[in-house]
Amino acid sequence: MNLGMKSKILCYAALLPMAPAMVHAQSASAPPDFTGVWGIYRGGPDSDPKFRPPAPTPLVLKPEYDKPYQARRAEEAAAAKRGEQLANAGAECIPYGVPTMMSVAIYPVEFIQTPKQVTIISEAFSEVRRVYLDRPQAKMEDVAPGFYGRSVGHWEGDTLVVDTVGIKPTVTLRGLPHSPQMRVTERIRMLSADILHDQITIEDPVVLEKPYTYTTAYKRMASDYEMVEFVCDNNREYVDEKGIVRLKLHNQ
Amino acid sequence: MDSIERLQMKILQAVRAKVCCCALMAAGIFGAASPVLAHHSFTMFDMTKQLTLVGTVSSFEWTNPHSYIEIDVPDEKGAAKHWSIEMGSPSILMQSGWKFNSIKAGEKVTLIINPMKSGQAGGFLSTATLPDGRVLSNGPRQGPPPPAPTQK
Repeated sequence: MNLGMKSKILCYAALLPMAPAMVHAQSASAPPDFTGVWGIYRGGPDSDPKFRPPAPTPLVLKPEYDKPYQARRAEEAAAAKRGEQLANAGAECIPYGVPTMMSVAIYPVEFIQTPKQVTIISEAFSEVRRVYLDRPQAKMEDVAPGFYGRSVGHWEGDTLVVDTVGIKPTVTLRGLPHSPQMRVTERIRMLSADILHDQITIEDPVVLEKPYTYTTAYKRMASDYEMVEFVCDNNREYVDEKGIVRLKLHNQ
Repeated sequence: MDSIERLQMKILQAVRAKVCCCALMAAGIFGAASPVLAHHSFTMFDMTKQLTLVGTVSSFEWTNPHSYIEIDVPDEKGAAKHWSIEMGSPSILMQSGWKFNSIKAGEKVTLIINPMKSGQAGGFLSTATLPDGRVLSNGPRQGPPPPAPTQK
């Protein structure tokens, strides 16, 4: 870190003494650079176990939320047995938001890192989120609910810790309900030059009995990989009056 | 083959092994692995059946969230029946060698598809044999690479 940057950081720290990002940014070593395109990685049987994503923690909802949640899961399973899919946001081409967008099928994500901001772009739906490193988090009640909420981050050694609040109740991790008090904490770290882990923890004192944590692992894509655009301009799926996803054929 | 490719192979094999994507997603979210979601499940297609369509392409739609091949297939009496065949997204298809101009209207192709359970004239692509003889699949990196450009 050069002297100019250090003095800038100290200046910010003086202005925002409570900002956690500033405290950690004063550490001597420069943070790693996540910039690049990363593909979803789950590891094969002969892969190095330390690079595979660890198993998620148990998902435990409070009883009043668990009952309808399980009922919906059962309805989805029954529909699948009939060869039908119940309506969901994805089938209607609505973007996934945080945290789902961090792991959509095999679509890669691109990280663009600067000293003040990390920008993350998912190839699926071209979703964009911005993680501010130079300012504190707002109060939950001051953040307009949206797909990406408001994310701030700070470095803890080689780990980027990202705090996100303000996710819209309709933006869910595959139907997992949440309240306005949901907080998503990510710990993003490179395990090697080519492997990146994003450990995602969802806390919600209203809906969850305890925090739910899962990890998405990524492997760096070839350096010449170019992100592909994704604009949903030909969605032939539609939801019928019974809430079932159908496919509109051109010969219909 | 790197591990990403292995993962992609596994996903495709899972679909082919009659495990629908939604089951894969469900297993992913609360099973041993991290949540991985897909655009939609494939429950509307009969992944246990395959049909071969030989016909003339009326349009190739390189679009999101899915690409489509519209094709007219003559029956034994010569009357054409129109089929709509769903594929992956351009992003997914590019990983198996497809390009936006891999096929054009008017070209003859052979498609192996998983038909719709409803009996409608639609399906999900398994593999396509292009006019130049290349066989491209609907999953990542299943097909051979495109031929090297030749000088005219």
